[in-house]
Amino acid sequence: MLRLILKRLGLMIVMLLGLAVITFTIANVAPGDPARLAAGPDASQEMVEQVRAERGFDKPVPVRFFIYLGQLARGDLGTSVYTGREVARDIAQFLPATLELVLFSITIAVVFGIPLGVLAAVWQNKAGDHGIRLLAVSGAALPMFWLGLMLQWYLALELDLFPLGGRLGVFDDVPPKITGMITIDALLDGDPGTAFTALWHMVLPALALSLPALAAIIRVNRAEMLEVLGRDYVTNARAQGIGPFRIIAAYALKNAILPTLAMIGLRFGWMLGGTVLVEGVFDFPGVGLYAAKAAVSSDFEPIMAVTLILGAAFMVTNLLIDLAYALLDPRVRNQI
Amino acid sequence: MTDSSTPTLEIRDFSLVFDTFDGTYHAIDKVNLTLRPGEAMGLVGETGCGKSVLTRAAFGLVPTPPARITSGSVTLEGRELLGLSDRALRGVRGKDVAMIFQDPMTYLNPVFRIGTQLVDAIRAQSGGKASKAEARALALEMLDKVHLPNPERQFRSYPHELSGGMRQRVLIAMALAAKPKLLIADEPTTALDVTIQAQILDLMAELVEDMGLTMIMISHDLGVVAQVCSRVAVMYAGKIVEDAPIRQIFDAPSHPYTQGLLAALPHPFKPVDKLASIPGSLPDLLNPPEGCRFAARCAKAHAACAAPVDFRTVGPGHEVACTLYDLAETKELAHEH
Repeated sequence: MLRLILKRLGLMIVMLLGLAVITFTIANVAPGDPARLAAGPDASQEMVEQVRAERGFDKPVPVRFFIYLGQLARGDLGTSVYTGREVARDIAQFLPATLELVLFSITIAVVFGIPLGVLAAVWQNKAGDHGIRLLAVSGAALPMFWLGLMLQWYLALELDLFPLGGRLGVFDDVPPKITGMITIDALLDGDPGTAFTALWHMVLPALALSLPALAAIIRVNRAEMLEVLGRDYVTNARAQGIGPFRIIAAYALKNAILPTLAMIGLRFGWMLGGTVLVEGVFDFPGVGLYAAKAAVSSDFEPIMAVTLILGAAFMVTNLLIDLAYALLDPRVRNQI
Repeated sequence: MTDSSTPTLEIRDFSLVFDTFDGTYHAIDKVNLTLRPGEAMGLVGETGCGKSVLTRAAFGLVPTPPARITSGSVTLEGRELLGLSDRALRGVRGKDVAMIFQDPMTYLNPVFRIGTQLVDAIRAQSGGKASKAEARALALEMLDKVHLPNPERQFRSYPHELSGGMRQRVLIAMALAAKPKLLIADEPTTALDVTIQAQILDLMAELVEDMGLTMIMISHDLGVVAQVCSRVAVMYAGKIVEDAPIRQIFDAPSHPYTQGLLAALPHPFKPVDKLASIPGSLPDLLNPPEGCRFAARCAKAHAACAAPVDFRTVGPGHEVACTLYDLAETKELAHEH
């Protein structure tokens, strides 16, 4: 088990390197002059050239890539040419918000998706199944940003049930920063009221972000449950007189959940990418919004940093999923 | 309440159809079977003849729809089972009627330990009355009884860590833990190697004797049935065509289909160029013939075969549904008994 984890972590470094090469190349062939951007629109040509030399923008791309890697190895994510702020500090500020939102969203998708998938399978072709499948098809078909806008319009503006955006209201006190996730920090601070307010602010963006994942989880879990419920070991369990609840919730689900887990890992990655859209709609100050702003202004180092960090988060999630696989399936456990 | 004259299992006039997209598929037609306490009966017939469906549907293990029971009754020690609720049938399955199946590779859940599955089954069989500790003790006792080496260790194993023969022993232990009134063994050795087959058959013969089991053994192999059973019912296309003591089937097979089955068994010492087979194929059960379902493939078929055929008694405990035998003779024989 430990060997597997070490092997996978080693592989992750290689994959991150690959991701860095691709992102670096794309960012550098894109039009725009980083030196001009750093120096500002009013700077003279000499000042631009001076900035170019200072920051090494005059060196060839491969050389700059290795300089960038050296910088990364020292834990330095660089500086935004646009704001002049250290990227690492920006990320430390914005990443917890995104993680909080994505974790909340994936929790919604899993907590509702798996039972709904099971129920749809148990009620196959009955009214309940049709209702759940309608939800699943809608979730797969509606674009996230459009859904976000509709939720905002109806639930926030028309019905005034939820705030329009942001992490907290203007007059709410932000709890002292420990993890950067406001709900957790507020609870640690002994302030459940603020934790609830923060959670309330996340409901609409999390709904928009989780619906596609929810839809995918329902579909995969329903199909797997249908397949597993027809297997011989389910017949045998029934022949032994074991009750339907134990058969569905344990004997069948523990088998059906394995492919669903793989889907959850995949969807987690999509969600991380989806924050770029959803955080924009809800003005939610996370890395998605940060990356979107940096992309608009061709601000290269923040884009690199966000890509690498979201990539790493995706890889860690999939490692965790694989470990969960081994935990649930003894046949997988024996292979590692 | 039950005396020796009450059959353990009595199936009367049992018919079952499947409603399919193409029409009504008459899978089982007016089947009668009686099993007395302590009797081990073989139910033989080729794949698709309805032998598994019959024994599963009688205990509520065939989903309805698409299946539909159109007539008949199934009584277990005098108690009618058809029409019972799911919950009541669940109380019967496992506890009163146990089943073991064809492929031990697929009938154990791959992601639960052997012990967990045994304990679950035993507790379900007891109607939830057995404690975990009691169930565990009984599970280990049963694993020992089916001669599984090192039961304590196997108890903690997962199915994939056991061989096919060992898994079948586990399934037999699971089925017999509740000392069921009736055991249904659905081709229990078909998926096993020949040497393992012999071991499992020996074990089953031993358990039938030790525990005084009443058993139906489903098989397409008359040789396998002969090792364990005292009686055989031969099924063809959803109907029973012959029902006889095992010796009678080998010495005096009466139905042309039974004769064909026996002729198809290769002789161990006489080399043959070509194995015997029965020409033709199964009748279309969407539109089954009114009379004998074997008539179309039967060399001895004649006009009378087109009408429904009743059973005739051709020997002690030996009945056959074939027009080649005289109904009058039946009455005489029946009189002699």
